[in-house]
Amino acid sequence: MPPEDRTLQEELQVFEEHRHEWLSSNLGEFVVIVGSKVIGFHPDYESAFKAGLSAAGLGKNFLLRQVWAEEPVYLIY
Amino acid sequence: MGRGTCLPHLLKVRLKWRPNSSKLLLEGPHIEILVSTTRPEFEEGRAIGLEYQELRVHALIDTGASLTVINPQIATTCKLLQTDWNRITTVGGMAGSYPAYAAAISFPETDLPNFDVIRVVACPIIEQRFFSCLIGRDILRKWLLTYDGPNGEVELKA
Repeated sequence: MPPEDRTLQEELQVFEEHRHEWLSSNLGEFVVIVGSKVIGFHPDYESAFKAGLSAAGLGKNFLLRQVWAEEPVYLIY
Repeated sequence: MGRGTCLPHLLKVRLKWRPNSSKLLLEGPHIEILVSTTRPEFEEGRAIGLEYQELRVHALIDTGASLTVINPQIATTCKLLQTDWNRITTVGGMAGSYPAYAAAISFPETDLPNFDVIRVVACPIIEQRFFSCLIGRDILRKWLLTYDGPNGEVELKA
């Protein structure tokens, strides 16, 4: 990410602080984080998004990330 | 039948087009799509008088893309919400972290089912005049795609 872009940095920090704990409790689920608050876990992106939208409100970004041991690298060929 | 297994006869929507063999070779299989903010945002926003813009763009159906990619300008124009950063590596070895957004994608003048909430990653699609979106395998996992090179035909079942 561009170094000057701080979008979702607070949420990503919360994610990193809890990642190891969530690997055993919520592996593969989608966690929703708004600011410093963990909203909850969901089985799929769509239900997680609806929960995040409900918590954050219209027009506010929030983190919606699947819990994996390592961040995936997506290939575009 | 295993979980996630799909029999082709259960796919009810069929879309077939014939760009001709040379055009298909040059441009690849592409389709017009509408990109907009997610359906839940649209409905919630409309209830309080907000308006959202839909963008009609050409999208390449790209079996080599693990997820769906849009040009960053689309995310700005449609005011998409950012939900993450994703790490991307391209065929040329270019790697980086790019913003992921929640969007809705639909297929005008077809009966293909809409995607009301789907993650898209904003990554510049350069040196391409034909399209500004890559439809990746996250969408293709819902479709049956037939690429008929000799006859210059493409068929989708969903």
